[in-house]
This record gives sequence, structure tokens and C-alpha cells, in this order.
Amino acid sequence: MSDQTYHDNIALRLIQFAVIWAIAAMAAGVYIAAELVWPTIDFGQFWLSFGRLRPLHTNGIIFGFGVSALMATAFYSVQRTCHTPLFMPKLAWFCCYAWQLIVLTGGLSLLAGLTTSKEYAELEWPWDIAIALVWVCFGIVFFGTIAQRKIKPIYISNWFYGALIIVIAMLHIINNLAIPVTIGKSYSLYAGAQDAVVQWWYGHNAVGFLLTGGFLGMLYYFLPKHAERPIWSYRLSVVAFWAFVYSYIWAGPHHLHYNSVPEWVQTLGMGMSIILLAPSWATMINGIMTVSTAWEKLRSDPALKFIVLSLAFYGLATFEGPMMAIRSVNIVSHFTDWTIGHVHSGALGWNAMITYGTFYFMVPKLVGRELYSKKLANVHFALALAGTMLYIIAMWAAGVSQGLLWLSVDQLGELSFSFKDIMASMTPYYLLRLVAGLIFLAGTILMAYNLFMTMKGKEAARVTVPAVNPAYGMN
Amino acid sequence: MSSTINLSFLLKSLYQPVEAFEALAKADPSPGRVFFRYSLWLLALPPLFALIGAANFGWRIGAEDPLMMETNSLLVVSVGYFIVLSFGLFSTAIISRWMAATYGASASLGKHVALITIVGAPLAIASIAHLFPDVLVNVLVMIPTMIWSMYLLYKGIPIVLDTPPERGMLMASSLVGWLLVAAVSLLGISMGLWTMGLGPSLGV
Repeated sequence: MSDQTYHDNIALRLIQFAVIWAIAAMAAGVYIAAELVWPTIDFGQFWLSFGRLRPLHTNGIIFGFGVSALMATAFYSVQRTCHTPLFMPKLAWFCCYAWQLIVLTGGLSLLAGLTTSKEYAELEWPWDIAIALVWVCFGIVFFGTIAQRKIKPIYISNWFYGALIIVIAMLHIINNLAIPVTIGKSYSLYAGAQDAVVQWWYGHNAVGFLLTGGFLGMLYYFLPKHAERPIWSYRLSVVAFWAFVYSYIWAGPHHLHYNSVPEWVQTLGMGMSIILLAPSWATMINGIMTVSTAWEKLRSDPALKFIVLSLAFYGLATFEGPMMAIRSVNIVSHFTDWTIGHVHSGALGWNAMITYGTFYFMVPKLVGRELYSKKLANVHFALALAGTMLYIIAMWAAGVSQGLLWLSVDQLGELSFSFKDIMASMTPYYLLRLVAGLIFLAGTILMAYNLFMTMKGKEAARVTVPAVNPAYGMN
Repeated sequence: MSSTINLSFLLKSLYQPVEAFEALAKADPSPGRVFFRYSLWLLALPPLFALIGAANFGWRIGAEDPLMMETNSLLVVSVGYFIVLSFGLFSTAIISRWMAATYGASASLGKHVALITIVGAPLAIASIAHLFPDVLVNVLVMIPTMIWSMYLLYKGIPIVLDTPPERGMLMASSLVGWLLVAAVSLLGISMGLWTMGLGPSLGV
């Protein structure tokens, strides 16, 4: 036993920020969902328009909620899997606060209308540079901790978090290479089809390595901890990791089917997307089999339900994605709300649910106090499931209708319906989606209250670094 | 006793599901008998309603004019619908039996077919909405029905397969995962067929 303690206050603070961003960004999502039903509720204000609130919603979720949650869980788990406190804890604190500052000011810049117009990479060059710098600091803390580890094997969750840090740095820097003109305007270094290929190499792998890889790191550490069981097959997790890293990076061009990029590039993207199903499902099966032996934990632990359901939605989203990448499906599904439904089966069903399950598990442990209300957590579970299902079904119906309608031709070969009429007919589905979003947001607010009451007035408990089993020691 | 799986029993499953599940737990019906006596007729309802509705009124998918399809095309789509539903029932029952070993819930295939039939029965009956072939109306009818079916699945598995509720919850969630994948496959396959020229005429 050493007298060193883990730096858990950083993780606790990051969780608090993640919950705040979740509520803010989901509220923005609900508002733009309402704008699609009642277009005039932007009240003529540019900053309230769909075009500005939509990137605020996506960036707020991905960078505010997602990255804060990933940093929190990475800092928490890397210390425990390495049996050592964080490397350069002050730098970790810097990452925590600097990141929040970037999200806050970046969000305001989007509301002000500053944008590169690249999806999920809308922030202009000053923020891009700041993100790159903080991300490198994140990497220094994370890999520094691994370098000073007391346990020789590097646990699988750290491989995923490591891939997240390295690949996101690479994607972010290369995709955002630009020539600045003013403080709020730059021009991309790439043009035309080249720009599209680079952008979707970034865009798809932001989904791949941040929303999938990063959260798989979360799954591989917290699921076994939660279930008090080792991973069902450690070997499968390692095979799935390398297969995942190798195949994901090629899948981007499936966003550019029937576009002005070479057909072989589209085919390559489609092929690699289909191959991607194998490592994705290997992980899903590994997770389901791990939890299947720990069923008695469900009696006392409402949070585990979130993780079980998140695996079901992970299975759905990682099957749906490769299917939508097939060209003959994509020709109908692309540019329809089915894509939005697909993204949300991943973002709500997988990312948010696994994070919620993890937060319900982590916060009581961090502050050394029972969860304030298991009943509220159970209500939250029902709301999250209902909201996600309603959202997906509404968007499936809307998406298929749109795909059918705007490909319909009359006997003269002319389009049967105008874009405007089709969009006008979507109002009922958008209303359903708005209700779904409100239900999901309500659940998130319940969680915020529950976690707030759990951590109220408490700091992170001091956890001493335990002694290392000599069988796994460095020497 | 396969005789417990008769029409009145399955009707009972609609309004007294727990009692019906308890009765099924004690029975050991053969899969063939369950299918031909009951599942088959339920599975025939959605394609039949869809055929009648689409042939007479055409699908309203948002545009003012309903989408009318040729009778031949409609027949092919309806038969395809029936085949897909039958495949869905059997594959789900087989997967359910396969999964059951993991969750300490092993039982004969007939029990799984009967369980999935009871779970799917409300959806088959609610497909009467296909007689009014408006996508939105069908979505609005199907969503609450689906919630009811999911409730039946989560409620039924522990009772019928005699496993603790927590283990049943895990198994039901795994099956929901499979059903979601099956549902989205159906969408994907439909689109693939439309692109190939089967179904509504698209300019692709």
C-alpha cells in the first residue's frame, strides 16, 4: 500500500460540466426540433435560427457532453488500471477548464454566425488551434500516466482511449488546415471533391473514434467494474480493437455516394463499412456476455439497465450504419430524416445511455455516498428508452416517406412532388420527434437533479492507490 | 399439453397476459401445432389488410395524391410481407431458444414460438390500421401497440421460461436488440427492392 491518492476531483468536475452541456445542448436540439414544426419561433433573430442552433446542438453534444464525459472517465479509469495517480495533475486541471472555455466561447461563436461550414468541424481557426493544444495536453496526461504505470499489461480500455486521443488529433488537425483571413474567417486548404473526401474522412471517424472508440473505452472499464465480472473474452476485445481501428478509418466515403468522387472510392468506403460490422458486433457480444452472468446485480443497481440497453442500441446502430452505406439503400435513405434517426439511435441509445449508466455508477463511488434516489434513476431509464424509441420510429417513418416521395417520377419521367410540399407533409413526424426529444431531455434533467443531490456538499473521496499484485508488476 | 394453446387461451393473452403466460409455462406445445393453429392466421392479417387497403385507397405517404401500385406488384409485395413476417417469427423464436441457454431459460421450441406469437399478437391485430393506408395513421397506431408488445416480452420471458425477472430482463433486452436489427433490415431490404424496380416506381 502506498500513501499516494488518485486525483478524482478532476473527474468529478468534468462529470458536472458534462451534465450541464448535455442539458444545454439537448435543449438546443429540442428548440430546433420545435422550429421544424413552427418555423417562426426564431422570431427573426439570427442567433435563434436553425442554421446557427443546429451546429450549437451537435458541437455541444459531441464536444461539450461527449468529450467532457470521455475525459472524466479516461482520467478516472487510467489511474485505476495503471495503479498510479494522474501524470501532471495540474495539466489535467488545465485540460478540464480550458476545454469548457473552448466549448463555451465556441458555442457563442457559432451563435454569432462564425462557421467554417464543415459539419462537426464548424468552429473557426482560433478555436481549432485551441482544441489541438488542449487535446495534446490531454494526451500528455493520459499517456504520461500510462508511462508511469505500476502494472505491466495495458488494459483494453486504455487502448481505446489512446486511439481516441491519437486519431482525433490527427483528424482534427488535418481536416481543419486552413488559411486564416480574419479572426473569424478562414478558407480550407482543400477544394471541391478533395475537400469533401477529407471532411468525411474526419466526419465519419469523429463518429468512429470519438463516439464509438472513446465510449468503448468507457464500456470496457465500467461494464466489468459494474458487473463485478471480468470481460467475457479479453482476447476477443483485443482482436476487436485492432479490427475496429483498421477498418473504421476507410469508411468515410460512404457519406459521398453518387457524388463527384471516384466510384472506386465510394465502393471502397461501402466495402469497409460492411466489414466494420464484424468488430462492432464482436464488442457488442463481448459486452452482452459479460453482463449476462451478472443478472443479480440488476436487483440493486438501476444504472446497469442503462448499459444493457445501450448495448442493444449499439448493436442496432452499428448494423444500421453499414446497411445504409450500401449504395442501393443509400440512394433512398441519403438526405432523408432516416439519417437523423440513425445518428440518434447511436447518440441517444448508445452514447447517452452508456454515459448515464456510467455516471450513476461513478458519482456515488466518487463522493462516497449512496445514489440519492434509485426510483428517480428508474424513472429516468423509462424516459430515456421511450424518448429514444419514439425518436427513431418517427424518423424512420419520415425518412422512408421522404425517400419514396422525392424519387417518385410521373409517366413523363418528371419528379412527382416538389421538395416544399414533401417537407410540409412532414410536420406530424417532426411533432412526434419534438415530443421524443422533450421526453429524453426530461430524463436527463431528472438525472442532473439526482446526481446533484448525491454529490451536494461533497468532494471526491480520497482513494489510496492499492498495492500491485506482483504477478502483474513492472519487474 | 398442446391443447392449452387454443384460440380462447390466446385471446386471453390479450387481456390477461400474466395468466396466459402462467398457463403457457406449464404447457409444452409442438411448434408446428402452434404455428398452424394460431401464428399462421395472425401472420396473414397484416399482408391481407395491407393488400386490401393499398389496392382500394393507395398509400398516403405525405403527398396529396395516394401512391397507387399495380395489382400484380401489390400481390408480390403482400406475399413478400407474409414471408418476411413468418421468417421473423421463426428466426426470433429460434434465436430466443438459442439465447435461452445463456440466461438459464431453456425450453422447447414450441414454447418459444408460442411466446413470440403472444408478444406479436397485438401488432398483428393493430395492423388493421393498414386498411387505412396512411403512413402517419399507421405510425400512431403502431407506436402504442409496440410499447404493449415490448411490455409483454419483458413480462412474459421470466414467467414462460421460468427464469428470475432480472435474467429475463437481460434476455428480453437482447431480443429487443435482435428485433430492432430485424426491423431496420426490413427497411433496408425494401429499399434495395424498390431500387431494383419492385414496388413503387422510383426514378433511380
